[in-house]
Parts: sequence; structure tokens; C-alpha cells
Amino acid sequence: MPDSAATSTKTPVTVLTGYLGAGKTTLLNRILTENHGQKYAVIVNEFGEIGIDNDLIVGADEEVFEMNNGCVCCTVRGDLIRILSGLMKRKGKFDAIIVETTGLADPGPVAQTFFVDEEIKAKTYLDSVTTLVDARHFDQALKDGREAKEQVAFADHIILNKTDLVSPEKLDEIEARLKGLNPLATIQRAHRSDVPIKALLNQHRFDLSKMEKVENHHDHGHDHDHDHDHDHGHGHGHGHDHHHHGPAHGEPGHVHDEHCGHDHHDHHHANPGHGEAGHVHDEHCSHQINPIHDEEIKSVSLSSETPMDGVKFTKWLDKLLAEQGQDILRAKGILNVAGEEKRLVFQAVHMILEGELQQPWREGEKRLSRAVFIGRNLDQAALKAGFEACVVQ
Amino acid sequence: MTIAYSKSFDSYVVAALFDSLDEPIVALADGRVVFPDLDAEFDSHPNAGILCAVVHPTGLGIVTGGDDGRVVWTTKDSGPIELASHKGAWIDVMTAAPEAQTIAYAAAKTVYLLDLLSKAQRVFRHDHSVSGIAFDPKGRKLYCSTYNGVNVWFSRIAEQKPQKLFWAGSHTAIAMQPAGDFLITAMQENALHGWRLKDSKDMRMGGYPAKIKSIDFFAKGKLLATSGANGAVVWPFLRSNGPMGEEASEINPQDGAMVTVVSGAPEETLLAAGLDDGRVWIAELQSTGIDWVKAEKGAAITALAMSNEANRLVFGDEEGFVYIYEGSE
Repeated sequence: MPDSAATSTKTPVTVLTGYLGAGKTTLLNRILTENHGQKYAVIVNEFGEIGIDNDLIVGADEEVFEMNNGCVCCTVRGDLIRILSGLMKRKGKFDAIIVETTGLADPGPVAQTFFVDEEIKAKTYLDSVTTLVDARHFDQALKDGREAKEQVAFADHIILNKTDLVSPEKLDEIEARLKGLNPLATIQRAHRSDVPIKALLNQHRFDLSKMEKVENHHDHGHDHDHDHDHDHGHGHGHGHDHHHHGPAHGEPGHVHDEHCGHDHHDHHHANPGHGEAGHVHDEHCSHQINPIHDEEIKSVSLSSETPMDGVKFTKWLDKLLAEQGQDILRAKGILNVAGEEKRLVFQAVHMILEGELQQPWREGEKRLSRAVFIGRNLDQAALKAGFEACVVQ
Repeated sequence: MTIAYSKSFDSYVVAALFDSLDEPIVALADGRVVFPDLDAEFDSHPNAGILCAVVHPTGLGIVTGGDDGRVVWTTKDSGPIELASHKGAWIDVMTAAPEAQTIAYAAAKTVYLLDLLSKAQRVFRHDHSVSGIAFDPKGRKLYCSTYNGVNVWFSRIAEQKPQKLFWAGSHTAIAMQPAGDFLITAMQENALHGWRLKDSKDMRMGGYPAKIKSIDFFAKGKLLATSGANGAVVWPFLRSNGPMGEEASEINPQDGAMVTVVSGAPEETLLAAGLDDGRVWIAELQSTGIDWVKAEKGAAITALAMSNEANRLVFGDEEGFVYIYEGSE
């Protein structure tokens, strides 16, 4: 991850998750057959499902094992380590790798594999955990067990699929629930997995340098009564594409505010309009969908304008992840460390933490420290107290 | 003491070895098998990649396993001959038993055994993927490293339950001591594990900074060399206890570089190592003399072998350069 994507020679890996029937196989078939100018190696969980003969399709066994890596104990995918190291010998035959997981799989071990094994870490980087959600069966999937929820909570990118099979109101409700489970992921709507392939892969969503996405998520009106504005004329013209923000946004280091703190409308992106295939759904803005929070999996957003004590914060975070890492699915943050001109960015997958100093704060920029935790049984008050205790006194 | 051969093949070098006639042979990730001495190459796995390779049990030529599910024997005279094919499988582990004239290879959880004399083929199924296979010196038993230890099978019996050598964790490679007394596995957690086979006594051999990908017994099986550190790590197997209670030595450690592959002389205390920065050295362990075979840095060395006579080295790197070094003797 700390390899800043653009200059990296590492091979990007997209992890594709989604509950049973969400459309993963349809999407994979498109990736493998469409002429998009890119070549992918695909690691599938069931070999027979993909009806395409291609020597870059490999069957995996979903072999999860516990690994003791110094003081961090975590689960990784052994078969993935083996297959990826085999694939890396044929570097040059493909541009990127896609790992499909079974509908019931926990994405945690897959993601952790990319941080725990040195060789894999040296040759590949996790580009994105992309989760397909079946709009029609979303409610049922949530009831079935914790897998569907965790796949959403874990995602960097959510494709809300089969949108033609439910009403617009229902879609907005689903999207609100997705946001409640995971405020960090971008949400994209699709009919038959018909998202543009280019927008799907090699987007560096997992990359620390894309941490602008960690916005100030504190308190977005917890209106559980669903009375937020559904009346969002489909013709409104801000269909700008989140994938192309960052450097391409015009302003260097542009911090994208998902909560409409500033005007997006001066970014001219010719994207399909709302409701059309390929529309990249903007998270908030005037088409405001407020998150509907979940009882089990929550996200906690923290922020502070007072500079942080870097040592204190690191100690707190280490301890937090060591004690509650099993329950913390994902965490991301950007910190203003006292006496440091650069932003400290971090992200965690369960107990595995990666952080680095990145580009300096811009002149005149508000140096706001912020962190988001997504997980089970999160104690908001305790997290807030712990975070605030790390500010410079 | 010179580099006698160097050539770019523009494909990751998967394996480099000498057959029993000391013919150097190289297997490339793009499916080619190269005989550098003849300047000949064969497309043994067309449109596919080679994942593993061993010397054929007869001692002649190379057997390769590919991501096309094929097992191919390539000799300099006859070119490639297909020995087996398993559609959709990735054959990434292989070993051969010259004594028994058998080849064993694995694709994911299944180990296949080809008996070249009886033409029998046997299948050994595992609960988890197999990461390495080793025969005992006579080729009677087959040791398969997998998750939580090693499964032991009799090569000549069709239906059987394996004996288990249990050790928790993920074992990623395996090597049998030439005398057949000790079995060694590399583990995901930067350590070796060993078993003294007569009593299944466990040995833990740790302290490595990196994952161990290369294990080689040399010097008549008295020494074991491994990668996974700044220098080559050498464990003594001089007594009946093997390395138990003994210290390993680290040979020629280099700051900022890791040994990726090791190869020792079968009969002598001569050891060569390839580094992740492209350098290669050779050391006579009794005289402590170390020579740089290749001192220029480059792509990581991925394959290395010492000839049976210990007068030549063949090695290759990630970017597809292949070199042969000839000693002065």
C-alpha cells in the first residue's frame, strides 16, 4: 500500500465479494470477454462457473489459516499466497488480478493476505475490495447471517446491482443502509453488473494516498425516521465521477467532501445521467441519502481540530487494534500530528495496521484530524474519549 | 572463474538445474525449456507457464509442471514429451525418485504419482493444498507438506490413510535429508520445522528474518543450507541428533540484501547463493573463502544450481537472464 500507486510496478489486485446471487459470475464473464484493452488473471472460487477457457483463470480453495506474525495473530488465505506467487512469475501476461471470493466468505483473510506475506506484499497491492450487492435480495441477505453485512462493511467500492428490479424508493433505502454500514465506500448502481470495467479495476481505492475519502464523517443527522429527501430530480447535473478525483480533479490534493461542504458543480464530468447504466452514484450532495445505521455493524467517525500527539495516538491505536481488532473490520484516518508538516495516514484491516507520512498539508488548509472505524460492537463513547485523549494538551 | 554464458530470455526463470550428465537446463515461466550448452530451446508448454521442474528420474532431461495442467519431459535429443495432463489444474509442486523411477507432483490438494516402470498412476488426496513433496531415499514413501504438517504415504499402495507428522501452521516447502533420517519443512512464519523420522521428534529452527523459499542439503547430506536471511544459513547434520542443540551459521551476510536461493555441492562443502539484488556468491565453507560469481546488481536471482562435479553454476533471475559460471578447476 505505501507504494504510491501511480509509480508502482506492483500488480493491482481487486477482491470481488458479494453474497450468493449478487452477480459476481456475470461480472467476471464480462471482464473476461469484453474488449476493454486490459488483461486480467482471475482467481475464482469455483472453477466450473466461468464458462471460458483461459489459462489465466485459476481455481482457488478458500483455505483460511491462522498465522502468527510476531505479535499479530490473523487469518490469511494460504491458497492465495501460493497462486499469487505462481502468477507473479508470469508478470507481463496480464495487467491486473481479480480474486473472487465465495458468497459466504469473510473478506478479512483475503485482504490480510496482502499485508502479511512479504512476497505478496512486494509484488502486488490490494487495489480495492469491491462488493456486489443484489438490490432485490438485500433484505434477505442481511437476515441470513453476518456475511452479507460484513462484505458491505469491508468494501472500498460497492456495486448496487439489479437496480431495475426494485423501486427507486427501495433503492434509496438500501443505499442508506449501505452507507450506515460503511461510510467509506463509494456506491455505484448497476442493472446486470453493467458497470464500466475500467471504473472497476485499478482504481487504487485501498491505497493510502487515496485517503482524501476519509472525510469528516462526524454526525450526519441520525434521522432514522427516513424522512430525508427522496425527491431528487434525476436530471440534476452533478454526475461527477469519484474514480477520477484526486489528481485528476484539477486541484492538487483536493479533499473531496462527501457532505457537500463545497460546490461540486464546477467539476465538469460528462457522465451518464442518473438512473442510466454506468452512472456513478454520488454519495451525498443534494441527492441526500442519509445513512441508516445498523445495530450490529457500526461506523464511528472521529475528528479533532487540535493537533494530535503522534506517539500517544500510535499507542492508543495499537492497543485498540490489539484488543478489539477481531471486531474492527476496517479503519482509516488522516492525522494532523503536532510538529509535523506532513499528514499521517493510516488504515487497518482487523489487527493489521499500515501507516505513513504523506504529502504535506497545504497552505491555508484546515488541519483536521479524522478517523473512521467500521466494526462490530464498537463503543462510540470510548473511541471518542480515546481519540480525544491523544490531542496535544 | 568466469561467466561462460549469459543470455536474456525475457521470462522469469522458474528453475535451473543440472541433469545427471551435468547438462545445464533452464525452465522459464513462459513455458520454454532451454539447454544453454546447445543453445537450444523447446516450447514445452505452448501458451502456458512452467511452475515447477525436476530432473527426470532417469537422470536425463527435465520434467516440468505447468499452469496448463501438463507434465512434460523435455530432453535435448527428443524435445518435449507429455507425461500427463490434468485440465484446469496448476501443477506447481514436483519431485522425482531415481531409485524407484517415480515422479510425484501436486495440483492444489491432489498429489499424483507416476510410476515409470509399472506405468501405474496413483492419486493421494489431501484436506489442504500441498506445498511440497519429497521422497525418502528409496522412493518408498512420499512426504507431502501441507497445512498443519506433513502427510506420509506409501508410494506403492493405492488405497491408504496417510500417517501424519503434525505441526500447527502452514508449511510451504519440504526437503528430505539424503540419508533419510530427517525431514525439514519451511513455514509461513519465517522458520524451519524438522522431524527426526525414527521417533517423529520435532525440531524448531527459527530466527529467520524472511520467508524461506530455498532449502538444500549438501556436503553428503551433512549440511543444510537455506535462504531467508542476509546470508545463507547453514545447519549442521553431523550427529545422530541432527541440528538439535546446534547453532546455525550465517554465511557471507550482506547488508540490505537477502539470499533468495541456495545450492550446495552434493559431495563437497561448497555452497552458492543468489541474492535478491541480483548478486551471486560461492563459498568454500572449510577455508572460509568467498568469491563473487556475479558482483553486479540486477533483478532478483530466482533459480540456481551447482553441477554434480561442483565446477559449474547455472542461475537465472526474475527478468529472464540466464548465466553459467565455470570454476577454474
